[in-house]
Formats: sequence, structure tokens, C-alpha cells
Amino acid sequence: MEKDFIIAGFGGQGVLLAGEVLANAFMLDDKNVTWYPSYGAEMRGGTVNCSVVMSDTEVSAVQKAKAEFITVLNQASFDKFVSCVKKGGSIIVNSSLAAIKKTREDINYIFVPITKLAQEKLGNIKMANILALGVLSRVSKLVSLETLEKALYTVIPPHRANLIPKNIEALKLGYEYDLLKV
Amino acid sequence: MVECLTNKKVLMKGNYAIANAAVLAGCQCYFGYPITPQSEIGEFMSGKMQELGRAYVSAESELAAINMTIGACSTGVKAMSSSSSCAVALMQEALSYATTDELPVVLVSVMRGGPGLGNIYPSQGDYTQAVKGGGNGDYRTIVLAPSTVQECADLTYKAFYLAQKYRNPTILLADGLLGQMMEPVEFKEYPYPEVDNSSWRLSGTKDHKARIIRSYGPLADDRCVFLEKLFDKYKKLEENETEWEEIGTEDADVVLVSFGSTSRNVKTAVKMCREKGIKAGFFRPITLFPFPNKRLKELSKTVKKFITVEVNMGQMVDDVRLAVNGVVPVELIHKGVGAPPDPEVIFKQIEELI
Repeated sequence: MEKDFIIAGFGGQGVLLAGEVLANAFMLDDKNVTWYPSYGAEMRGGTVNCSVVMSDTEVSAVQKAKAEFITVLNQASFDKFVSCVKKGGSIIVNSSLAAIKKTREDINYIFVPITKLAQEKLGNIKMANILALGVLSRVSKLVSLETLEKALYTVIPPHRANLIPKNIEALKLGYEYDLLKV
Repeated sequence: MVECLTNKKVLMKGNYAIANAAVLAGCQCYFGYPITPQSEIGEFMSGKMQELGRAYVSAESELAAINMTIGACSTGVKAMSSSSSCAVALMQEALSYATTDELPVVLVSVMRGGPGLGNIYPSQGDYTQAVKGGGNGDYRTIVLAPSTVQECADLTYKAFYLAQKYRNPTILLADGLLGQMMEPVEFKEYPYPEVDNSSWRLSGTKDHKARIIRSYGPLADDRCVFLEKLFDKYKKLEENETEWEEIGTEDADVVLVSFGSTSRNVKTAVKMCREKGIKAGFFRPITLFPFPNKRLKELSKTVKKFITVEVNMGQMVDDVRLAVNGVVPVELIHKGVGAPPDPEVIFKQIEELI
């Protein structure tokens, strides 16, 4: 089995870090995994994305045009990536920063006000990226909340360990969000 | 970044894996000048080398960096530099000098788009630059081409060892994709023996007569002798150090030849061929110099066609053609610059070519 993920958003929203946490979680689950960032002439406020490929065997290709699970944290990323979701795949949309609009019949749309939740429930919009991973865990059923928690400990450096409890809270909040609300 | 010896898998960028492996290989001096897509190597070294009491110099230019590496190597310590395409171009003169000085310079070349300033996306456009050399005179550099982040680490170890063992500059030829991607990698201890360099290193005249390391050979006859010796060394390299990976070549009608990051997608395309009943094989040179000429020649007796796949306009294809020497056709699938073509795209092109 091989599954492809793309996480995209504004530079500064932490999409590369979210991808790194996801990739670490797959590694902790003994899967083969690759992470590859968009690394053009990027800047804060521009769009940024990363691809994560998880496989039981050798990863077939590091950079792929399409993915089963695409998480978009802003409108520009939604516009760019909605056509890249594989048929039958899912797009998780941050409805705080992207319009609730379904343009395709053959994919699943999951709209979650990710930034708003991060602000209102956690008091920090910077938590949006990790909160999105919680949603992704629930939707994809390919990585558990426990493994993502472990991955946080791997990725977050010791001198930032004080941030871990809040990030775990964010994961849970995303995971437990009632997806039928929208 | 705090990694060194891990003995367990960690998720890491290829660039960091190269830098970490260099530290573990005993690299005492790093000289560099930043350039995308390899700047993480210098970034890692700037912290780690100082922490370990080793030397890190942010040079004023690539020319300075590679010449500082020559200076450090002449004293017998392990030293390296790293750079990318248009800046590796600036280092070619020094590589020629280091070859004739017989110094174990290790240079990491993380390829990006060219020619000229090009762009920062992955590319394999410096195959010829690395393998044939851009400096003057008759010389070769040892060239190792990783295809995974684990190999970025393992071949960095090997680069230091081969450089020392053969007293020849060695290039680790990676690309932007390998440098920037993350993959699980494990760091074990440096697996090679330390090479004794007490007979030639410049270490002061306390215990031995004055020594000189220079590339100038004023007498015509002496120079001929030197060049013969140099090329005997390259023959030994070809006999003893040529390395490659091959899968499913025993019964293959067509063999796909590819190196570095591109070979990952080619391997997948070969699997797709097999699933569709096409007898395809996979061949990946790991040492680009010495090139696996002998094995390719052997394969040409049973294989009907070779196809090389490269992210450049077709460079390694020339060497495959030389190895096969016209016995069977050698075709090319290529993309100018960027991430390797999708396996499906490669598969379709294979179908068209056979």
C-alpha cells in the first residue's frame, strides 16, 4: 500500500512542519516515507507546500502530481490543489481562510474552520497546522493520534518542549471536531 | 539539528545526512560558501564543527573554499567543501590541481538547474562536469551518486575513504531533490579503516626531510611518468571500486540505466513494465567514475536494448554507448530540469521505444 499526502498553505502557517510531523509519525509506524518541500523562491505570505509519501514497500516516487489526501490551509492552496486530489480522495479545507465550495463530484470535501478553532479554543492561530493533522488523522485513518503525539516529541526540539502539551491539545481538537457540522 | 551517531532511524534531509556523515567520517575542516539547494550542509557544519572543536570556515568565495580544502588536505587531515552547479564550475581549476597534487579532497556537489545561473530545482546536468571534469589536463575525480538519503550518508563515508585510499579528489554527486527531501536514515559508525598518510602529508620537518606538494612538473619525461602512474591508479579504481545496483537483468530484453534520484522513479517504471509482461531490467551505476563499463558490456550480449533515463539533455547516455560500443542500440528518455519524470511517463516512453 502506498498513500500520498500534500499539505499546503501560506508561508508561515507551518505546513512544512506539519508535513514533517506526519512523516515522522509514519517512520515511527515503521513505514517507508519521504517528505519533499516546494522550495522555489518562497517567502512569508507566499504559498508553500510539501508532499509526504507513505509506503509499505519502497516509495515509488518522491514528488507526485496527485495525492489521496490534500490539506489546504488557505484559498490559494485550495484553488491550486483541488484538481490534484485523486478520484475518491479527500481534501481537508481550512474554511476560516477558504470559501466553502464543492467543485468536484468525485472527491470528499472536509471543511473545518481550522484557524478559527485554533484561535478560539487554543488562543493561538499558529496551532492551525497541528490541528489540521488531527483532522487528517481522523479522515485518513492511516495514522493514529498516539503516533502523531510521539512524532511531536521527535520534531519539537528540547528547548521548545514547553509547547508540546498545547500541540497535543491541538491534535485532539482537530481529531474530535464534528466533521458533520458543515 | 543535534544528530551524530544515532544507531536508529531518524527523519532527515539529504543535505543534513551528508553533513552529519561527514562529521562522523572524521572530517576535521569544512570550507564553504552558501548556495541553494545545498546550504543546509554549511549551516549544519557551522554549528557542529565548532561544537566539536573542528574547523568551519565560511569562505569569501567558492574559489577560496576549494583552495582552503586543498591546503587542509595537504596536511593530512580530512577536509571537505560543498557547493552546487554554477559554483562547482568555479572550483574546476582547483580540482585539477588537487588531482595532480594527489590530495584527498572531498567535494559534495548538489546539482541544480543549469547552464549558467540556471535555477534552484533538481537536475542531473552536471554528470559531465563531475565525471569528465572541467579543469585542465588529464585527470579524473572519483564520483559517487546516492539515490536515497541513507545513501547520502553511506556514500559520504565512502567518499572520505576512497579519497584517502587513492589520494584522489572525490565528488559526492547529489541533486536538489536528494538534498531537500527527508527520509529515514540511520547513522552507524564510520565503517572504513583509517588510511596511513604519514609518508606524504605536510607535517613539519621535525621527524622527516622537507616535503613539497605541487602540481608543477617542469620536465617533460617526468610528467609522462607521473601521468602513467596517475592513470594506473584509475585502472585500479575501475578494477576494485566500481559499484552498481541491478535488478531483473538476467532475462531482460531492455535494461533501463539511471543514476541518482531519477533512478527511484525508473525502478518503479521497470516494475510497471514487468507487471505488463515487458522483460525490463534496472541498472543503476553508484560509482559514476569508475563507470561500470565491464558489466554493461557483458549485459550487451544478452540485452536487446538499453535506455538511459536522465534529468538533463542526455549525458550519461554517452558513457553507456561507449560501454556497449554499438553492439545494441542505446536510447534516451530525458527531462531538462526538475524533479524526475513520473514513473507512468517513463513507462509510456519505454513502451514507445521498445
